[in-house]
Parts: sequence; structure tokens; C-alpha cells
Amino acid sequence: MMPIWTKSGKKHAVTLLKVQDCHVLRYISKEESGGKTSKLLVGGKNASPFFKSESAMKIFKEAGVPRKQKVATFNVTDDAIIKPGTPLYAAHFRPGQFVDVTAKTIGKGFQGVMKRWGFKGQPASHGQTKTHRRPGAISTNKAAKVYRGKKMPGKMGNIYRTSFGLKVWRINTKHDIIYINGSVPGHTNCLVKVRDSKLPTYKDCNKNPPFPTFFADGDEKLPEDLYDKEIFQFTDPSVTYA
Amino acid sequence: SCRISSDGKPAKFQPPPKPVIIDKQKQREERRFLSPEFIPPRGRTDPLKFYIERKDMIQRRKVFNIPEFYVGHVLAVTTADPYANEKANRFVGICIQRGGKGLGATFVLRNVIEGQGVEIRYELYSPRIQAIEVLKLEKRLDDNLMYLRDALPEYSTFDVNMKPVSHLDHEEIPVNKLQVRMKPKPWSKRWERPKYDIKGIKFELPEKKMKEAQKWSQPWLEFDMLREYDTSKIEEKIWKEVSEELKK
Repeated sequence: MMPIWTKSGKKHAVTLLKVQDCHVLRYISKEESGGKTSKLLVGGKNASPFFKSESAMKIFKEAGVPRKQKVATFNVTDDAIIKPGTPLYAAHFRPGQFVDVTAKTIGKGFQGVMKRWGFKGQPASHGQTKTHRRPGAISTNKAAKVYRGKKMPGKMGNIYRTSFGLKVWRINTKHDIIYINGSVPGHTNCLVKVRDSKLPTYKDCNKNPPFPTFFADGDEKLPEDLYDKEIFQFTDPSVTYA
Repeated sequence: SCRISSDGKPAKFQPPPKPVIIDKQKQREERRFLSPEFIPPRGRTDPLKFYIERKDMIQRRKVFNIPEFYVGHVLAVTTADPYANEKANRFVGICIQRGGKGLGATFVLRNVIEGQGVEIRYELYSPRIQAIEVLKLEKRLDDNLMYLRDALPEYSTFDVNMKPVSHLDHEEIPVNKLQVRMKPKPWSKRWERPKYDIKGIKFELPEKKMKEAQKWSQPWLEFDMLREYDTSKIEEKIWKEVSEELKK
């Protein structure tokens, strides 16, 4: 994570995400998947082809791509279908866009009720017998049962969670790095799924995105760094309030 | 009439002593200073992240000059402030701490203004900073002068309109071996304890208290191999990279 300053002098914290060897693996049509839209399977980060069965490697062999460590599904409309085997780059996103980021949270293991659910526990003294971090009562007398989903101790973390509506501040096309506002679930160097935001406030925010994606061998030649218009670039002189 | 030695033979020719030439040019080049925020901390982050951050830091240094300074120097910093009269704010103070790595590097300046101690934390790479001037160059015995909060206020007062003291480029930065006198206890931190390892305080505590403070010493810490972080090679590489980029 890194600080970033706007032209008005305000500081924001930014997470850097690297797009490492992403390829489109397979196209699943609407009827085949049984959903409302067709799906595209995308794989990230190359991994070793050994230690995996032949059936698992089938998808990668058909796409003509080395084995990927993570495979994610994206719901796409029919006009945004991409041919399997095309590489995807960071320039697919543009500064000023809003994205949702999904990843597995840091695993904390078996945790008690105070850390896992934020319960208050009991006082440290004044006669408490062996009860300082316990949940206390778990149900009422009338219910005569414990409801399903009652917050209790258990394994915490290591589940998929999404951060919604994060702004993209800057894109580095040379190293394929996306600068995203705020924090993102997961530990450092973990694999993460970045998707255009589906929040209703950001429905019309992105104007002229690279559609269906950014092709490196196409005609468009982008500069090494793409900045949002409100970012303070370090080539400019210091900020003054006139 | 040559001098006759005790043996009776004439004295052997002694050549004159060779003059010692101090090459000031070489001395100037030998002193290299790499700002501590360039050195990456120990961790599992990808080195690519530090490389990209360094590019941004070097870019900022090309546009805005950040002088070489250590803890103990007296600096004057002008920041842009939308609510100030001239839209600019000037603060003079002694640097008591330099923290943070990469673009978020900070330094704290302390001064006593009209009897009230004031500490301000500035970010080195913030675009609101208009100028940083070094008024007085002097290193102190410690890396962290937080104990000035519990010292007598005369040690933290610096004149706001003080003139910059001149300093030649090739001379070494002088170390001020000042031992500071403290206010009576209680202090904000127990500075006499060995974990802070402070050499710049004149402790006027009784011997018994000093001996009791040594109970908290951890003499095994300096031999702990897992805590070792040798930055010499990393520093060399980064110094070469940074100096080449800045010369362009």
C-alpha cells in the first residue's frame, strides 16, 4: 500500500495490484451455464503443470496456455465475448473507473466470540468466576432452542470477501499494475479477482472503456503511466492555494 | 664540513620527509548519504513495489529539492495552507524523529513557541511542502530525540527568525555531544531504561535507580541472529540507482 496525493493536497491510501499472466480460458454460453448471462473463465498467474490430473489440465491445453494458479468466472454480455487464449492486461481498466475486488481473507484459525463477532465479553474483576471472554447467554427461555446461525466461536477468515466501489487512480502499462483506492481483502501477494463495479451509483461512471478488452498487438499505443485527472503527478511543481 | 656521526664515518644522506597530500576531491566523493526512507523494510513484499515507489520518489526529488538532514538538525519548512494569511505556513524546529519508509516517510519538528511546546509531523513527499531549508547542521548522540519533551524547555527553543548557519560541503557533519538536563520525574517514558539506549541525557538520578533500571536490560538482543538485517549491499545498489537517476 502506498500514499497518493490529489491536486487539492489530500492524501489517500492506495493498494497496488499486479496483473500477472492473465489469459481467457473458456467461453461458456448462456444455455450451457444455465444462468442469465454467458460466462468467461479467466486464469491468472502461471503455475507448474505437474501435480495436477489430466482432466484438470484439459481446460489449459484447449486454450493453449500454461497452467494457471487461479481460475475465476466472470458474467459477460454477449457482445463482450473474448476468444479463449487472449492475454488480458492492466490497461483493460482505466483511471477514474470503479471496481469490486474479491479475495480470500487472511485466515485467523479458530477464534473466540470476542475477536470473531466483536462481543463485549465480561468485566475483568468484581467477582467474575472464570468468565471474561465467553458469549454469555445464547438464546431466550421461550425459544427453547438455539437459532441457526447463532454467532459462536469457530474458524475465522480464509473465506472469500468483496470490497465494493473502489476507485482506480492510476495504471502502469509497462509493469501491468493497477492502483486501487483503499484496502483490499487478502494477505500481501495473494491472488485477487478484480471486476467492474456492480453498485448502482457507479453504473454510468466509466465512459469509453476498452471494449471488449485492451489488445496489446492492436493499434492503440498507451503511455507508460495513465493517471486520473485529480491525481497530483510528481512531475508537477508543489501545490499552492492561490 | 659535514657532520661526523659517533662512528667517525660521514652521516648517510637522509631524504626529506614525504609531504602528506590530502585529496579533498576524493574525500568529498567518499561521503555518500542515502536517505533512510529508500531502504526497504524486511518483509515478504515484492521488490517490484519498492522499485516503482523509488521511481516516484526520485521523480519528486528532481522537481523539489529535499536536502540531506539527520535527527538533530534545525529545519525550516514552508507548507501551503489554504487558511493562512499568505497561503503559506513557515515552521522552524529541531528534527526529533525520522520515520516511515517509501513515499510515506515523515519527520517530526519540535519547537517551543511562547512557552508552549509544539511538534509537527511533516511528510517528506507531500506536494503541499513548498520548501525545506536546513538552518543548522549538527547530529546528536541519539537517533531519536523524543526525550526533549521531558527535558527543560530551553533545549527545544529555537529562534523562528534564525539565520542559516553556513556549512561547507565536504566537511563532516559535527556531532553535538550535548547532555540534556531533564525536568523532575515523572517523564512520559522511562528514559533511563536500557531499551531506549539514550546517551544524550545527563541523568541526575540516584545510583540505586540507575542500577534498578539495568534490571530491564536484554543483553542477548545484540546476538540474536534472527533480528539481523544487513542493509549494506542493498544500500549500495540503491545508492547507485538513485544517484544515476538524479544526475540525469
